[in-house]
Amino acid sequence: MTRLLTLAVAFVLLATADAPALTVRDMQGREVKLAAAPQRIVSLVPSATEMIFALGGESRLVGRTDFCDHPEAVRGVASVGGMINPNLETMVTLKPDVVIVTSSGNRQETFDQLTRLRIPVYQVNAERIAEVKDVARRLGALTGRDAAVGPVIDRIDRRVAAIREAVKPYGRPRVLYVLWPDPLIVPGSRSLVTELIGIAGGDSITAADSQDYPRYSLEAAVAKGPEVIVLANHGSRGSGPIALDRWKRLTSLPAIKHGRIHSVDGNLLHRYGPRVLDGLDQLARALHPEAFR
Amino acid sequence: MSVATGHPLRALVVALAALVGALLVVVFIALLVGSADLSVGAVLGALLGRDGPDSVATVVTLSLRLPRILVAALAGGALAVAGVAFQALTRNPLAEPSILGVSNGAAFGVVLAQIFGLGLDVLAALGLAAFAFAGALVAAGAVYVIAAAGAGIAIQTLLLSGVIVGIFFSSAITVLISIVDFNRLGGVVHWLLGNLAPVPPGALLVFAGLAAIGFWLVVGQARELNVLALGEEAATQLGVNAERLKLRIFGGAALLTASAVAFAGPIGFVGLIVPHLLRGLLGQDNRLLLPAALIAGAAFLLLADTVARNVIAPAELSVGVITAFCGAPFFVYLLRTRYRAEW
Repeated sequence: MTRLLTLAVAFVLLATADAPALTVRDMQGREVKLAAAPQRIVSLVPSATEMIFALGGESRLVGRTDFCDHPEAVRGVASVGGMINPNLETMVTLKPDVVIVTSSGNRQETFDQLTRLRIPVYQVNAERIAEVKDVARRLGALTGRDAAVGPVIDRIDRRVAAIREAVKPYGRPRVLYVLWPDPLIVPGSRSLVTELIGIAGGDSITAADSQDYPRYSLEAAVAKGPEVIVLANHGSRGSGPIALDRWKRLTSLPAIKHGRIHSVDGNLLHRYGPRVLDGLDQLARALHPEAFR
Repeated sequence: MSVATGHPLRALVVALAALVGALLVVVFIALLVGSADLSVGAVLGALLGRDGPDSVATVVTLSLRLPRILVAALAGGALAVAGVAFQALTRNPLAEPSILGVSNGAAFGVVLAQIFGLGLDVLAALGLAAFAFAGALVAAGAVYVIAAAGAGIAIQTLLLSGVIVGIFFSSAITVLISIVDFNRLGGVVHWLLGNLAPVPPGALLVFAGLAAIGFWLVVGQARELNVLALGEEAATQLGVNAERLKLRIFGGAALLTASAVAFAGPIGFVGLIVPHLLRGLLGQDNRLLLPAALIAGAAFLLLADTVARNVIAPAELSVGVITAFCGAPFFVYLLRTRYRAEW
């Protein structure tokens, strides 16, 4: 009788182990059903890849994109191709338990194809520092590195507070942040960069635009008389500011008159990984060099 | 006249047998190569259902490679037949869905439908195709009206009209996307280059059904199209209702183009390259050309996609890039050699 009971209990345990053990909600509020705590993760989002490494969860990362180029150790993880054209075959071969995607940067098509193949898809996106911390918490939970989340979030809070404190005594210059010079793409109201400019002690002149990354008219930008122009460069090899000459020709702008044109590393500021703090640091030093002497 | 009235049945059988053989070889290659490193045994095992349904070999072979092969073959066949049809209809050897701007019209319809949220369920797929068909008809109609404004349609007038209509619809797509969701622009640009991806079975059936209707509309009129080649007046004297014929071919070619664009994106030049190669081999008889174009188009686009899938693996090229790299020089070659005298 006891033997039969043990067998029954074992059977029930086995059966429950097979059922979806984990239902989580991603940042779009979608329910994602996972067979168990995911052991094999593919990330199609460079920010998420960096965050997973920062949390020490990289042992579960089995795939990444060509754009996931940080930290150095990421080269040991197989690439599945680009962000908009990742290779489905390669992804299937990696047998992922979950694929991390983002609504801004990946294609809906990729999302649909994975869903059809019954591969769970987890969406992340961050437009605010609070959401960067949320990404850290979620990826920590997914990779089983909850313990590492606290320190990462503490570090974010401490550095954000330190920078706020450092720039507090100074005025807030009007800032034009240039994500891309031609066509002119700038950060709008729903973009992380806009919040970072605020933290770094400036007022983005494009903060009111309702899109996340609007295409902006040069005339409108000039009319707002930016006092500091920040040009994002995109080369990882430290290439200079893009189209610097074009801006220098606009000599009537306060920013050009006073030589307040700076370049920052776009790979730091446009990704919501842990390095966004280094980006914030660059930004604050560009806006308020006097605060960091 | 001997070609138009003779019995090309034997030639047809031989040509089709050879082309089907070639297509099967390409299908086999496409099944075997890809960035997932599967052995021949693994692929065959998956095809015969020997592996479990969740094994990598089964998923890659049956859910990724096979549906994509079917989409490529259908789209290639549809576009090549549409090419032959437009060429016969306009009596212009350089006419082709993408050059005439018809593909762009269909693409505009597809983007519009996607903005309304139509995807790839069976019903939504029908809606998607309907939007594409409407777009293709508007574009083809516009080209015809613009080009026919003068007396008769010269080769260059028709081509220029096609280019203009094509540019108009590309711009309209860009406007649409910029207004609705700028973030999606990158993805759409990718799709606009012609992008083959596995399509779910229901949508695949819709695709096959629509392409079959389009093919039937055109191939049933192959003999009449041969007569039309003699000129409209001569065709009328020989008992062909030229207006009805033109309308039917127009509808069939637009439907073929629209179905290909709806499920595979606006892939260019297939309707130019394939018919011309076949004319070199088989002559001008549309009764031969149309069925041959169906099979040869399928083989050609599948081959192009297999290259696109593997040349920069694990990333993928859009197949339209490959067909354009082949097609653009081919177009120039045709323009410089064969049709120079007519300019």
